[in-house]
Amino acid sequence: MGVAQEIFRIGRESADANGGGRLATVTVAVGELAAIEPDLLSFAWEAVTADGPDAGSRLVVEWRPARQLCGACGEVAERAAGSWLRLCPRCGLPLRIEGGDDLDVLHVEFEEGP
Amino acid sequence: MTQVDVKKKILEGNLAAAAQLRAGFRASGTLVINMISSPGSGKTTLLEGTIARLKALYRLGGLDGDIATERDAERLRKAGIPARQILTGGACHLDSRQVMSALDDEGERFAGLDILFIENVGNLICPTSYDLGEDYKVALLSVTEGDDKPFKYPAIFSKAAVTVITKTDLLPYVDFDVATVRSELSTLRPDGAVFELSSRSGTGMDAWCDDLTRRLAGKRSAA
Repeated sequence: MGVAQEIFRIGRESADANGGGRLATVTVAVGELAAIEPDLLSFAWEAVTADGPDAGSRLVVEWRPARQLCGACGEVAERAAGSWLRLCPRCGLPLRIEGGDDLDVLHVEFEEGP
Repeated sequence: MTQVDVKKKILEGNLAAAAQLRAGFRASGTLVINMISSPGSGKTTLLEGTIARLKALYRLGGLDGDIATERDAERLRKAGIPARQILTGGACHLDSRQVMSALDDEGERFAGLDILFIENVGNLICPTSYDLGEDYKVALLSVTEGDDKPFKYPAIFSKAAVTVITKTDLLPYVDFDVATVRSELSTLRPDGAVFELSSRSGTGMDAWCDDLTRRLAGKRSAA
């Protein structure tokens, strides 16, 4: 809920700074390790924008998975979504995790000024 | 219809206040620990045991985030350190502006601490996203919660530099495989430290306290 409010604040500010009116779409990036559930975020977005002029605007979530990397073989593509490999399936070395921390507003789309 | 690129951190407001807090803690040489776990995994009890062992050596302080009641802060005060309850008004996590306003309000009582423990709202998910200006996050996992938790909650266990497995005195009574947990933790956080302890029996408490001492000394020598 707090996250949805911050997205709304940034979206509204961006539209206002560009002389815009009603929000149409706000696009955000959410990483797999950001501890945010996209469905819950969309639900919170509806609650935050309800009853205001931006009711009915859309929150688009671009999901950014974390990557598992092997020191010898590079990125391990075999990982199934939401599961983690303990060792590299090719060489058996331990893997490290990169990325998935994204929590960014990417674009704001709005109607022409009021 | 007009589209503009924004490229802003969603939690930029929280990050800005956290950066300001972090600069203040660096200047005062205060080691700050953000403790995150499910409700009932033993954060306050671990702190009571930690306070008993370290309060003669260091100036300690505690901030306790909860939705309701002063209970946790009262327990820490009873254990002998200044403690402040932050009631979040229903929010499932602390944010850095709440920490800042609590510290401003406390003034001298919390100035120049050696170690500040921030006990977050009991929740393994939401607090993970909010930087509080801490040096590191500590995740707690009690053996009664089950050994499948690291992969189920990868965000917190990948971000916590330290994981503490608590209530190990109950290991004979529960199906909790410490090796499984250690293996999942090393996948999510290869450079993380893991402690196994029982606040109740005291087993493992010295290693945890020694780690705090080392990290405090490390922060001060880096300053």
